[in-house]
Amino acid sequence: MREPVGADPPGLLARLRAGEPKAFEELVIAYQHRVFGVALRMLGSRAEAEEIAQEVFLRAHGAVANFRGEAKLGTWLYGIASRLCLNRLASPDRRVTRGDAALADVPAATVDAAMAAERAELEAAMHAAIAELPDERRLVLVLRDLEGLSYEQIAEALALDPGTVRSRLHRARMQLKEKLERFA
Amino acid sequence: MTCAETRDLFSALADDALSPDERAALDAHLARCAECRRELASLLRTVKMVRALDPAQAPAGFVDRVLAAAQPEPRPMRLARRLSRPWPALPLSAAALLLVGGLAVLLFRASPEQQRAARYQPPAAPTPAVPPTPEPPTASAPPTSQPRTPSAPPTSQPPTASAPKSDTPPAPMSRTFELSKKEPSRNAAPPPPSTRPDQSGLRDRQPASPSPRAAEQAASSRVTEQPQTSQAANKADVRANANPPTREPAEQRVVAAAKPAERARAKADVSDRAESKDEATDNVAPAGSAAAPAPPAVAKTQSTPQSAPLSRTGPMTGIQAAPPDVTAQLRATNASTAERSLLDLATRVGGRQTGRRITGGRLIVELAVPRDAYAEFVRGVSTLGPVAIQTQATERPVLSISIAVSS
Repeated sequence: MREPVGADPPGLLARLRAGEPKAFEELVIAYQHRVFGVALRMLGSRAEAEEIAQEVFLRAHGAVANFRGEAKLGTWLYGIASRLCLNRLASPDRRVTRGDAALADVPAATVDAAMAAERAELEAAMHAAIAELPDERRLVLVLRDLEGLSYEQIAEALALDPGTVRSRLHRARMQLKEKLERFA
Repeated sequence: MTCAETRDLFSALADDALSPDERAALDAHLARCAECRRELASLLRTVKMVRALDPAQAPAGFVDRVLAAAQPEPRPMRLARRLSRPWPALPLSAAALLLVGGLAVLLFRASPEQQRAARYQPPAAPTPAVPPTPEPPTASAPPTSQPRTPSAPPTSQPPTASAPKSDTPPAPMSRTFELSKKEPSRNAAPPPPSTRPDQSGLRDRQPASPSPRAAEQAASSRVTEQPQTSQAANKADVRANANPPTREPAEQRVVAAAKPAERARAKADVSDRAESKDEATDNVAPAGSAAAPAPPAVAKTQSTPQSAPLSRTGPMTGIQAAPPDVTAQLRATNASTAERSLLDLATRVGGRQTGRRITGGRLIVELAVPRDAYAEFVRGVSTLGPVAIQTQATERPVLSISIAVSS
């Protein structure tokens, strides 16, 4: 799981609002992996995830002047990414079939073959199980268990009641547990 | 508290998000229910496994690509884009009318016999629209059956450009109208470019789009393809604006004399091009250039790349030419024996060979193995010799595996 979203770098929002190019670069550098991570786990395709992640930052770039700063920048970006992913998933003629695309690569490293086999088996099962979750449950699970957002941050990003976040997360985890019974 | 109510709290317990009352009730139930304790342990293990997954990393160069996409366009590009923006909204009929009008003028100008007939024609005499029979050439009548040459491409420009400048006398226009009534069915702007007019508008960076699908289309077209296509289209615009087409009578005559079959072919080519390169319609003024027939050679070169990116190793495989899911190195005492063993192993687990090559003196064996059998496959490979797995992605149902065998 990723580190929880921290406080915004001091002055970054003001510099973004002022249209400072360097500030936008800092924003992209700081949040690229988080935004890409959500898109990848939701869409299952690296190419599609990059496309959406780019769109997230471009939207943020165009809308930062109207961002009131009530949420953290990170939470705001997670919110944009979540909406774009759900829209893409709802698109009737989406190019990539869910659960049938390359997902996360294991970081390149030389590992013992036997361990690699076990790890591959487990990860494949987990990816498949996560990919089979309903979109909205999967999104909450990804934001909580992979991206490290709190219930409140998820509720803020998705404009949901915290109680809804909690119940969706519960259902997502129970569903995963059933699918991964033999590994757990 | 029942077992069902208790289990509803498990997830929140994993996040330490229970209220004190909930926690107390949960603990009390767990103290006397072994089944719920097992359930809780299983759920906590699942959560732990999910959290142990490696966080995804954005690909290399991502930041640069975002920054490039977010950069404002240079002023000339912006100007060209602004100039071209209203055009996609132009009704197709207007574009067709403009094209047909231009062609009609060209036909008229290119055919002295037409001019002569129009000049001396009695008001009510019906005559064929296009005189198919060759007339004796006059001194000012250049041959109309000039063969098509590679210099044909500029023919897409003259209709619109030369129409207003035409110095044809106004009187014979009734004759050319007769021509224009027949032409639209063949030369009217082809439908494909007009069926996607909204694509162009979507390129504008406007966060709120009327429909999610349209927004996604816009996102994809802008984000992934803007650097090349929009610049190319803008360049095309700039060229079109900067270099008004010069009059080339010979080429105009080629257009005028083009046979219907050729026109239909050219139109089909344009349709193909519009289908495959719909973004290109964005900045191209539709009145003349988008609707005018393009030379077939150009259309062909643009349509062929669509079938290119597949099959890394030819007919042996349908695997997309992408990096393999798994790359590994196998050290074996005998490379050819190891290769045979790899193939046997792959076949045994339901896979197959997809390629074989020698790179830098090393034998590379490419295989496709079902994901479900991958673990068994790796175990089998490790019996052949020391194996080092360098990259491993296991999400696709059939994994492409590239193994470098060295002895």
